Amino acid sequence: MIDKVETIELDGMLPRVFVSESIPPSDVWKTSLVFKRGCRYLVEAASGGGKSSLCSYIYGARIDYEGTLKFNGSDVSGIGINGWQRLRRNNLAYLPQELSLFPELTALQNIQLKNSLTNHVPETMIEEWLHELGIDSRRDYPVGRMSIGQQQRVGIIRAVCQPFDFILLDEPVSHLDEDNNRKAAKIIQEVADSQGAGIISTSVGNPLFLSDTINLRL
Amino acid sequence: MKLISKLLRKNTSTARIAGFVLSNFIGLAIIAGGLQFYVDARSLWASDDSFIKTDYLVVNKKVTASNLWDGGSSEFSANEIEDIKRQPWVRGVGGFSSTDYRVWASVDQGGRGMSTMLFFESIPDAFVDVKGADWQFREGDEIVPIIISKDYLTLYNFGFASSAGLPQMSENIMSGIPLTLSLSSEDGSRTKRMQGRVVGFSNRLNTILVPENFMQWSNSVLGAGKSEENPSRLIIDVSSPGDVAIKDYIDEHDLEVAGDKSGSSASYLLKVVTGIVLGVGMVITVLSFFILLLSMSLLMEKNRDKLHSLLMLGCPLKEVAAPYVRIVVAASVCACVLAVACVVVMRSCYVDALVGLGAETGGWWQGMLAAIVITVLIIIFNVISVSRKVKSSWR
Repeated sequence: MIDKVETIELDGMLPRVFVSESIPPSDVWKTSLVFKRGCRYLVEAASGGGKSSLCSYIYGARIDYEGTLKFNGSDVSGIGINGWQRLRRNNLAYLPQELSLFPELTALQNIQLKNSLTNHVPETMIEEWLHELGIDSRRDYPVGRMSIGQQQRVGIIRAVCQPFDFILLDEPVSHLDEDNNRKAAKIIQEVADSQGAGIISTSVGNPLFLSDTINLRL
Repeated sequence: MKLISKLLRKNTSTARIAGFVLSNFIGLAIIAGGLQFYVDARSLWASDDSFIKTDYLVVNKKVTASNLWDGGSSEFSANEIEDIKRQPWVRGVGGFSSTDYRVWASVDQGGRGMSTMLFFESIPDAFVDVKGADWQFREGDEIVPIIISKDYLTLYNFGFASSAGLPQMSENIMSGIPLTLSLSSEDGSRTKRMQGRVVGFSNRLNTILVPENFMQWSNSVLGAGKSEENPSRLIIDVSSPGDVAIKDYIDEHDLEVAGDKSGSSASYLLKVVTGIVLGVGMVITVLSFFILLLSMSLLMEKNRDKLHSLLMLGCPLKEVAAPYVRIVVAASVCACVLAVACVVVMRSCYVDALVGLGAETGGWWQGMLAAIVITVLIIIFNVISVSRKVKSSWR
């Protein structure tokens, strides 16, 4: 059982769809790469470069790749369903590009659903974040009736409502203005820093405003 | 966890679940009711004291033209008796022995004498169903105990006595009348006079029966030495009177079963009917099981995206499956409780009638147990199916 994910190692990893294609030089695919806990990574690529695939692989949601992926030096292929579920509750936070919010639940319910798994974040903190990101007036609205930008902010708050060693953010601010981008980045950095966690964020040209990032090209 | 339930129960079809509860209830009620009735009514033929006495069969060969004219015998050879003994449904076989001399019986009643030629038969004592201190004969005794078929008394009372102007007799009166027996050998050289006394009436033995040791003694004294002949009728103690194998054997060997056959037919019929009822109940139950299985599959298929999203959030598999498991358990338990209640009510309706017929009713819990066991199986299989479906939504 993994207590803390200290490192995520990619060794010769490549999405299977790219195997027969020639890919441009990359810092990630077909190399040896180590993501360390406590560091911030910004992965940039053109669309179709495999950013979402990278996040899905690390989160255990997909396995259609060549090469190996290791946590703390051991291959993830040995992790079973229940092991992955534990990792998702306690070690890996993830904001998918499509958000995967439940449209019939309100903003607050969507966040509470995630938080109830670990009761990691106090209710007042959630309220504070909703206020900071300017969606506190929408907290009892069904998410399905909100704009994409508002939904993205709900998704960001939900993603940080758990203990984690790494947070994976797949184009987290694609529909946010600069002001909200900065506010979101501040919250994410604060939460990650308080746990000594690493941040892996992807973008296609509208990156999350993180400071001190290691930039990687897919 | 209310939020998970709220999400995953969306698209639940009340009509489908109600359809399952209704059909499962009907199936379970039929199975449990049928089984309960079988258990309760079984003693009507299984118990030694019941009025359907079928543990013993009396068989003889069919009298046909061939064994009349071709010198064929209606007697059972030693080999044939051995073969019967080897059948799995046979617990014991006894042969009928008959007298090797002539018997005249006469009654002197109020000056109106009546006499008739008679015959006696005997069977091993183990097979006699009217027993007691009276059923004894020792060499030197003057009185011979006799058991006659109840049918003979009926024939006398309702056939002969009324037409001949003779008084009708009850079993008690008949038992009190002394019979004078004149026994004489074939050639008339040796004779004996004895008293006969009717000590019982049998439903089962279609003959005039005397104790086995009287038969041996009298044949040795008066017989012409033919008493070693093979018996032409056998009494068989069978383990399960309704067994089809018995009927097959009887048919195959051209035998006839004498006496009361209604009991074995009734027991056979009861088994067949119970089998049919249980079969119908089983089919309905299996169909209802599939209704539940398919309803849950359909419901989970409709909510597949939500299941996947919840698992992506890290929800434990058990919690994701829980809302569906609760539906399965609630619906199955509901059907089971209804079925058990139905059987309890049904049983209270028939149990008095069965007791009145002399049945020793079985335990009240057999039907209930069957319903509970089936319900537990239905729940287990559905929970397994739900878990597999949840796992399949994981990746």
